[in-house]
Amino acid sequence: MPRFATLNATWMVWGGPAPAPEGAVLEQTRELDKFLAEIERRAFRMAQIALRDPDDALDVVQDAMLKLARNYGARPSAEWRPLFFRILQNGVRDLQRRRTVRKRFMTWLPGAKEDPDNEAQDPLDNVADMAPSAPERLMQDQAMQKLEASLRELPARQREAFMLRNFEGFDVAETARAMGCSEGSVKTHYSRAVHTLREQLGEVW
Amino acid sequence: MIEHTLEPRQRELEERSRALFQGSVDGLDMATRSKLTRARYAALEAAGASGRRAWLARIPIWTSAAGVTAAAVLGFALWFGTPAGHHGMMSADSQMNLEDLDIVASSDENSGDAMEMLQDDIEFYDWADKAATTEPAA
Repeated sequence: MPRFATLNATWMVWGGPAPAPEGAVLEQTRELDKFLAEIERRAFRMAQIALRDPDDALDVVQDAMLKLARNYGARPSAEWRPLFFRILQNGVRDLQRRRTVRKRFMTWLPGAKEDPDNEAQDPLDNVADMAPSAPERLMQDQAMQKLEASLRELPARQREAFMLRNFEGFDVAETARAMGCSEGSVKTHYSRAVHTLREQLGEVW
Repeated sequence: MIEHTLEPRQRELEERSRALFQGSVDGLDMATRSKLTRARYAALEAAGASGRRAWLARIPIWTSAAGVTAAAVLGFALWFGTPAGHHGMMSADSQMNLEDLDIVASSDENSGDAMEMLQDDIEFYDWADKAATTEPAA
């Protein structure tokens, strides 16, 4: 038995593993496209709830898609979901951090006391949609607005735990992987989030 | 998935919030859906392009490595592929052959053909040869 037989095949090429056959690459791209199409709207809504701004949410979702495709596209498809949401949550956190820094910086500038986030918001966004809709639909919209407002009031980690577990259907282990923390932390964050939401929404719902 | 050992109120909150969230996802407007689709295609395209660029970037490394290997193999084959003991002869023989070729190929108009010149001086060469062999004895 030649000694070289024990060497990894990647040893034979310089700079990384050999490219997958074209058919396999196409199949993988198709699978990735399907996966992203399946989760993109939920991911967008989750980012929008956290960031309040649809354009920022779209940027974060696109960035997460790109990073997943570029860095983890070759991984087994079963790993994509927790990875994607981890990238997404990191993107949301980064953007919120940048906003906080920007807000602090703006308060130091003379004549710039206003919150830049509020400046970006169009007042018409808060006006109720006047298009005719069924009363049930209207009630649902109002209930969702209250839920969103309550979710925004939650600390970021509690909100992440609640959305991943409840909206995305992750179990504790998957949520822990997506949030990059221990399962115990997930349970604590989730329990606190549910408790707070129940207090805030219990009377209304 | 979500455990079913929860209080009824908590479960109700979870189910309602989940249904509302899903409703808001389904109710996304066409403009946002279209933007998301474009973002997905852009991400897949960019990821594919970066993968191709990564492989293109590796090509110079492969070509240079392949060139060095080919040169080494060729040198090895030329050195060890010739019969033993002929390496020194080869250069001497090839030098003589080149001189012969020069003589044969030379076409000096003034001195005539090189072979004719050799023919004319054959007596001189014969004498020179004899003189060289007899000289040490003398």
